[in-house]
Amino acid sequence: MTAVLRNESERLVRGSVVLTGVLVVLVAFLFVVFPSIQREAELFEEVYPTFVLDLLGIVELHTIEGFVGGYIFAFVWVLIAGIYFAYVSGGMVSRDVRTRRLDLTLASPVSRESVVFQKVAALWVPLVALNAGLLATVLVGVTLLGESIDPVSLAMVHLLGVPYLLVCAGIGIVLSVRIDRDETAQAAALVVTFVLWLVDGLSQMSPDFEWMGGFTPSRYYDPSAILVHREYALFDATILLAAFLALLGIAVVVFVRRDI
Amino acid sequence: MCARTQAAETGSEKQTATIRLDGLTKRYGEIIANDDVSFEVRPGEIFGYLGPNGAGKTTTIRLLLGLIKPTSGSAEVLGADVRDRRALTEAKAEVGYLPDELGFEERLTGRQVLDYFARMRGDERREELLDLFRPPLDRPVETYSSGNRRMLGIVQAFMHDPELVIMDEPTSGLDPLKQDRMHAFVAEERDAGKTIFFSSHVLSEVQHVCDRVGIVREGKLVALENIDDLLERGGKRVRVQFPEPVDEDRFGTSEMIDVETVDRTVRFTYTGEPATLLEHLVQFRIEDVDVGDPKLDDIFKHYYGDDGDAEAG
Repeated sequence: MTAVLRNESERLVRGSVVLTGVLVVLVAFLFVVFPSIQREAELFEEVYPTFVLDLLGIVELHTIEGFVGGYIFAFVWVLIAGIYFAYVSGGMVSRDVRTRRLDLTLASPVSRESVVFQKVAALWVPLVALNAGLLATVLVGVTLLGESIDPVSLAMVHLLGVPYLLVCAGIGIVLSVRIDRDETAQAAALVVTFVLWLVDGLSQMSPDFEWMGGFTPSRYYDPSAILVHREYALFDATILLAAFLALLGIAVVVFVRRDI
Repeated sequence: MCARTQAAETGSEKQTATIRLDGLTKRYGEIIANDDVSFEVRPGEIFGYLGPNGAGKTTTIRLLLGLIKPTSGSAEVLGADVRDRRALTEAKAEVGYLPDELGFEERLTGRQVLDYFARMRGDERREELLDLFRPPLDRPVETYSSGNRRMLGIVQAFMHDPELVIMDEPTSGLDPLKQDRMHAFVAEERDAGKTIFFSSHVLSEVQHVCDRVGIVREGKLVALENIDDLLERGGKRVRVQFPEPVDEDRFGTSEMIDVETVDRTVRFTYTGEPATLLEHLVQFRIEDVDVGDPKLDDIFKHYYGDDGDAEAG
């Protein structure tokens, strides 16, 4: 019974390819400006207030690791890819409810649990496309700049990013089974993901509010630490995976109980 | 399977019903969409589920498919309790569904849509059905007319050769020729042993196709009729135009209900024999006559009253 997985995967191909293309162009552009940023890195770190650097997770900007971790991954991966995963998942169930597509699917011998699992499993498409696209661009960019980057750290920054993106998807899918209008569900998923990212960054500025960052997924994924310091926070990744499974569980329970 | 075995153990009569509703009730706050509905659909019959739009027919169907949950009461489909999700999911392998609103993936072609459903249910009768109903398979569904959509819907509902097919307003959007083809097809399927649940708001269609009929008004089942009894409870909506104003008392008969006279035009619902109506009309000088299907609710009010009790027809 993989009809839903197959159908949903096909549906995600186009968006994933387009987004990957856009991100590749964006990252390529960032690599083009890296030499000048590198020259001005000290000035850069002086000019920008600390909170902006903290917000973006920027450290060691003059090194290629600091640049890739603090610029490319902090922005492209944590913010843009995270929002994309939340947004896409936000439409997965709500759209099928609104268009009555789900009536015909659920008139088949397929359980509601299976429908949710298959839809979430279809996220392998953007996951593979974005990771492959970004990895290739970073490798090419680093090589062209005559720099080198530790392949293990690079692999880990991709690998440990997967649980983070899954949590974003989990937020989307919970909203998707709860909210009937797909536009509303998708917008809500986008806003929630963005606000969580913002809360994480802002909470780091004040010791009084730092605890709030503990409730945001981006707190548990630090590309700069992985690339610059080679700190692979496997426990944090486990927390993210557990959070994803919890969100998926909530989505299934809500979806199974509700009227369609 | 285990649900069916259980049904067999609890009594032979239980086994005979393909669909059984027992006090099925669905409330949305103050609104009662289905109110204590009980009836059975027997194997190998076309059961008509007749009622005006908004009477609660689709609610019953959605309850039977487990898309919504009953507030109280229960129902069984092919021996599976609708409240037992696992049993109902298994039973759906033998259920076909033609919804009133067909939600297909618009970007896919008709063929891809059928492939999608085939992966979930099978499609051993696909080609045979496509000889009868011919939606343009290579075009995306978003370009389909409502008739083509309906035909694609019919194919997906029957292509896995299910025991039971639940149809909600199955002929809406079809031209008269295709409607006739559809009616003949449903009768053949019944003769081949299938059970059909046929929901409609068109009285003449139900009279033409069904073996037994459940009549639903405002969420309540008001009558269960054999088709012969229902045939006696027909009616036509008639509009007659005279060259000059006519005396309503002289023109009216006891078979006319909801009579409205505006200037030279009289509109009414006629509940008697068509021949008697024609004999009556020829006694008057008439400019124009229209005879069409009546508003179902008027007919129901006449025959079943406001409290749902059947009056002598």
